Amino acid sequence: MANEETTRSVDAVRPRRLDLPVVARHPLGHGFLRLSLDAPPDWLSLPGQFINVLCESDMAALAASEGRDAEVEADWPRATGIELIRRWPVVRRPFSVSRVGTMADVASPGRVAHEVGRMRLEILVRAVGTGSRFLHSRPVGSLLNAVGPLGNHFAPPQDDRLCILVGGGCGVAPIFGLADHLADLGKPCLCFFGAKDAGDMPVTYRRTPEPTGSRIAPTEVVEEFAEDDIPAVLATEDGSAGFRGMVTDALEAYLRDAWKGEPLALFGCGPTAMLKALGAVAARHGLPCQMSLERFMGCGIGVCLSCAAKRRDPSSEKGWTYRLTCRDGPVVDAADMIWD
Amino acid sequence: MIRPEVDLSVTLGRIAMKNPIATASGCSGYGEELARFFDLSLLGAFVTKSITLKPREGHPPPRLTETRAGMLNAIGLANVGVETFLAEKLPALEAFRVPVIVNVAGSTREEYVEVAAALDAAPAVAGIELNVSCPNVKEGGMEFGVEARTLAGLVEAVRQKVSRATLIVKLSPNVTDIAATARAAAEAGADALSLINTLRGMAVDGWTGRPALTNVTGGLSGPAIKPVALYMVRRVWQEVAGPRGVPILGLGGVQFVEDVLEFLRAGATAVAVGTANFVDPETAPKLVEGLREALGRLGCGSPRDMVGAMDLPK
Ligand SMILES: Cc1cc2nc3c(=O)[nH]c(=O)nc-3n(C[C@H](O)[C@H](O)[C@H](O)COP(=O)(O)OP(=O)(O)OC[C@H]3O[C@@H](n4cnc5c(N)ncnc54)[C@H](O)[C@@H]3O)c2cc1C
Ligand SMILES: Cc1cc2nc3c(=O)[nH]c(=O)nc-3n(C[C@H](O)[C@H](O)[C@H](O)COP(=O)(O)O)c2cc1C
Ligand code: FES
Repeated sequence: MANEETTRSVDAVRPRRLDLPVVARHPLGHGFLRLSLDAPPDWLSLPGQFINVLCESDMAALAASEGRDAEVEADWPRATGIELIRRWPVVRRPFSVSRVGTMADVASPGRVAHEVGRMRLEILVRAVGTGSRFLHSRPVGSLLNAVGPLGNHFAPPQDDRLCILVGGGCGVAPIFGLADHLADLGKPCLCFFGAKDAGDMPVTYRRTPEPTGSRIAPTEVVEEFAEDDIPAVLATEDGSAGFRGMVTDALEAYLRDAWKGEPLALFGCGPTAMLKALGAVAARHGLPCQMSLERFMGCGIGVCLSCAAKRRDPSSEKGWTYRLTCRDGPVVDAADMIWD
Repeated sequence: MIRPEVDLSVTLGRIAMKNPIATASGCSGYGEELARFFDLSLLGAFVTKSITLKPREGHPPPRLTETRAGMLNAIGLANVGVETFLAEKLPALEAFRVPVIVNVAGSTREEYVEVAAALDAAPAVAGIELNVSCPNVKEGGMEFGVEARTLAGLVEAVRQKVSRATLIVKLSPNVTDIAATARAAAEAGADALSLINTLRGMAVDGWTGRPALTNVTGGLSGPAIKPVALYMVRRVWQEVAGPRGVPILGLGGVQFVEDVLEFLRAGATAVAVGTANFVDPETAPKLVEGLREALGRLGCGSPRDMVGAMDLPK
């Protein structure tokens, strides 16, 4: 499908509240879990968009824990579905949609194969607190209640310039989906993944990655990219895999040594410190850069105003305005960001 | 059992609501956001975010944090300002065919009056709800709604300029005696009372000493405050609203049909949904259907028959 056409149809999609069955779980590295979810056949989202997941929604467990018998349960108040939100605390938790596609072989970590049937949607969850740990405990067959797709998305370039995708920590989640999407559009891309050490990388290795010290060497060890031959540069802080140092240092070294000044587009997702550094690299080299932000989200649908982030705005007196990360984000133009 | 036809309609001041379920201010945006999930005309009424005279950016984030069974917010009244609201947001809201109640905030009495007057002149505005939990800059920052005399002064001044729209005063729970402020508001000309706004609270990280909100303090909402809200609705109904026939829009922690029944029994004529929208954006329309079913089960033909109906110990 043409680029603009896809974008137009995705922008027309209304978010829905859905019960998504867990069809597979892949633990990855330190505290990362990839969850494959069964989505309705008409699911449509683009890389960068997210789903907002209720972190306590197992109906069976819920009914059991409250000792409600099946008869009452069937009669009242199921008709209205209100019991879905009985559990508290907890506002929903936002997670980037990682990869999307039709899928038969859910056991393979590789690219989503195009087969008849339901859509598969993947999220990558790092265990950091109550909500994410709850998701880690969900067995295959359980239901996740999610609202989505939410937010805006990365915009692929109109021309065939090289896209450089930079992911740190669980920020690699949307990067996978973006790499898939660019491959679909026939656009060239190169990924940079950063982590503390080799084990902290939320990817599947085909074989043990080698340390390369200060050298930038794209590798094929990332199983997820095997089918499309997308090269990835790994960077670890302790040097145990790929480049030794920060992922943005690896990018800087690449631009210094291998780049000849042809047009590039940068895309990033990861911790705030990484995004700040990435924005600085982009500004230094005059490169366009889109990045996906993370902010606390009370609702994810634009009503609570909790996810405000400062953006440059020449039309306002102060030169900036607060914009909602859940609606006018999470993807922003790096040049518009004002970091507090 | 033969169940009676249930007529869900109620009236709040001069606002004819097709059912007693409304959305709460600051938890429902300007309408278009929730309209992506359901048809707003299913609601009894829609209440907007607080509107001020000039646009406001709001407080620096973090503005919101979770607490046990609730949340604490210090959004800082971020809004587009009355001019943009009237020009852009109101026409969009009008198209949804739902009675629109516009919540108004200010930092001086004059500001409230000016905004309310501009809204009263717009026929698409069915009701004006005064958020009196704002600091009064001329009175050393004390909230308008905590002291009966200040509140009465504010409501009287606004009432003079509001002749068409239903005037609702949204009471602050951060007071010694809610009946005193309720009485003051009713005597000063309020057509209806809404309660409760958020309870003042704070959250701090015990290990680091850092407050969870940049503003340090915030307003507590959600299920945690429901018992307080029910008590206050009951007290205001007994002391003020019931005797004077001033209806109550009850809110605070409403999430399930049971909560709606409880608020009606405490004395509310209608009920608004706030924090629950964040968990499930479709809460309000589900409550409408749930309430219809619940009243049927109770053999009750109208929510009006439930208002104040408690089975008290003899
Ligand atoms: C648009 C968006 C996309 C995201 N995508 C992913 C993703 O693909 N994979 C993933 O693992 N996470 C993602 N996150 C972050 C994820 O939402 C948080 O990790 C999650 O909400 C934490 O919930 P919890 O209940 O486990 O933690 P809590 O119990 O709420 O908090 C535990 C700890 O986590 C920290 N924390 C809480 N919320 C966040 C947050 N939003 N960002 C960073 N730290 C937080 C808290 O400060 C605290 O120290 C995304 C966030 C956003 C806004
Ligand atoms: C994020 C947030 C923003 C709010 N903003 C406003 C506001 O602008 N004006 C107002 O009168 N009340 C505001 N409120 C208060 C609610 O309208 C409501 O009175 C309160 O939250 C209790 O209801 P609940 O427990 O159902 O949320 C806000 C509440 C929340 C949680
Ligand atoms: S998360 Fe509520 S407005 Fe963005």
